[in-house]
Amino acid sequence: MDPVASDLPVTSSPQGEVFDLGYQRYDGPREGRSRARKAIYWDGVKLVLGIGRGPKAKILPLLLFISTMFPAVVFVIILSFVGEGENFLPGPADYNGIISFLLILFGAIMAPELFTPDRKDRVLDLYLVRPITSTDYALARVAAFMSIVLVLVYSGQIVLQVGLILTAVEPWEYIKENWEDTPRFMAAGFLMAMFITVIPMAVATFMTRRAYASAFVIGLFMVGTFVVNGLTSESCDAEARSEGGRIKLEAVDCEPVTGDAAKYIALLSLIDTSLAVNYLVFDKEDDDPSPAMLASRELHDAIPIGAYGLYTLIPLAVIWWQYRRTRI
Amino acid sequence: MPPLLQAAGLTKHYGSTIALEDATFDVHEGVTGLLGPNGAGKSTAIKLFLGLIRPTAGSAEVLGTKPYETVEGRTRLGYMPEHECLPSSVTASEFLMHMAQVSGLPPAHARTRTADILRHVGLDEERYRSIGEYSTGMRQRVKLAQALVHDPVLVLLDEPTAGLDPGGREEMLDLINRTGHSFGISIMLSTHLMGDIERTADRVVVLEDGRVAQEGPVSQFTKATTTLLVEVDDQHDEVTRLLLANGVTTTRQGQVLVIMDAGDAELDAVRDALAETGARLRRLAPHRGTLTDIFRDGPRGV
Repeated sequence: MDPVASDLPVTSSPQGEVFDLGYQRYDGPREGRSRARKAIYWDGVKLVLGIGRGPKAKILPLLLFISTMFPAVVFVIILSFVGEGENFLPGPADYNGIISFLLILFGAIMAPELFTPDRKDRVLDLYLVRPITSTDYALARVAAFMSIVLVLVYSGQIVLQVGLILTAVEPWEYIKENWEDTPRFMAAGFLMAMFITVIPMAVATFMTRRAYASAFVIGLFMVGTFVVNGLTSESCDAEARSEGGRIKLEAVDCEPVTGDAAKYIALLSLIDTSLAVNYLVFDKEDDDPSPAMLASRELHDAIPIGAYGLYTLIPLAVIWWQYRRTRI
Repeated sequence: MPPLLQAAGLTKHYGSTIALEDATFDVHEGVTGLLGPNGAGKSTAIKLFLGLIRPTAGSAEVLGTKPYETVEGRTRLGYMPEHECLPSSVTASEFLMHMAQVSGLPPAHARTRTADILRHVGLDEERYRSIGEYSTGMRQRVKLAQALVHDPVLVLLDEPTAGLDPGGREEMLDLINRTGHSFGISIMLSTHLMGDIERTADRVVVLEDGRVAQEGPVSQFTKATTTLLVEVDDQHDEVTRLLLANGVTTTRQGQVLVIMDAGDAELDAVRDALAETGARLRRLAPHRGTLTDIFRDGPRGV
């Protein structure tokens, strides 16, 4: 006799029945376009953070999040030892510049993920036959990525702010004297996040492969910055001086290699232009400016702001136009 | 009942190319086939009904709204494209849940609907596998499921059996039949395969060169005709000779003798010819029309 079967309870009549109810019509709520936008937004957030996917998909966002927080944590630890008043450490105005490389890398690698797979796999066709417009889709994706960049930008700044307040001799006095830092880092962070979001996403609208989009964006930022800084760097005449019986060479009459045009050429560097706007928001000057930033100081403040506006509005318009003309 | 979908003088030109010209037809509850060879204007008609392009002239109405003027009408519309359109790295369950929400369903309801619809298309056991691991037939069922997950009133299917093996095709046609006739979801099925229409559709709209060639119930195209088919095993020539001698117009197609406009007199003549020759009768039946005849005989209007 089967030992397992013998252990089973014996019933004389059926204990339950299974009914197939067949197809059930749906008569629940339908939230239309607003639900569709939310769904695409949250799907975008999950896609970038690797939520609902394997561990590999989570490594890169996690690493980048830790990396953007890391400088702030280090500064706070140093501050806790050296105390308030030490000015050698970067402040809130400098923080966006310090993490800008990481943010660009994050934007270049992750932003295309929100557009290219949907185009490559033609999932976009299924979105565009639902109760949304192509603009709804594109803006929900842009908003998803920008939210994550904002979290990255703000989290480091918040750690830094908290550290500065807690390590101050008089925390309340510190807050009263530096309260403007908070709205400034919020505004500067927003502008930085916008910039980091829209350029890679605009590039991604032309590509069906993420790797190509990422390589193009990295090239655009890095090569552009390198070339522009080369063109705006200064060349100087050397003047010989005798000092204590020794002859020393000293740089004099320094001016950019491209002369007067340097200040305009400087605007072609995407990174330097965004950082120039960042320092304008904080109403400070970079203590260790790049040649391009130094050259752009010759310009009226409105000009870098205008250039920044173009660098964000044009990509936004490109995204809108690319999706508007999408046909399935 | 007002039509679910209405084309009135619907015209679409791409430059000098005429994709659709003055098409007027309605789609009511049930399964309607949109039949035509490649380039007949089927895909253009679907795009117009989905609101993805604007007509050059005329109008397209879906569920009482003009789809190219508002996207809200799409909340009760489903669409299954012919081409590949599925992500490979997510599970069917995740994908359908997301698509249900994009169609406007709240998350909790989207979850329930996803489970229901995956069961109906026979993928409930496979719902946690990545779509990339699915066979062509399974992927086709996911495509159908995403078109149904939000419980549409009308679903547009574009060549749903394309690329399927005979078994997969049978399963898909069975699913379409159940969806259209048991679930109560109306279907417009675009295809160039007449067999698919004969198997599933109640009505058919035939497009040729961008124009509506014919329209009507499928049964009207497949009903018995006055042509009589007489299949005999032997004595073909002798039977034919006797029929012709009695004034019955007879042609021979292989083993089958075809008698046009057969009435009682022709049936009597067949009986007499068979009796006289002693030919062994295998089949005596009226010829039933097929949708193939539409294209063979040319437009005739119904």
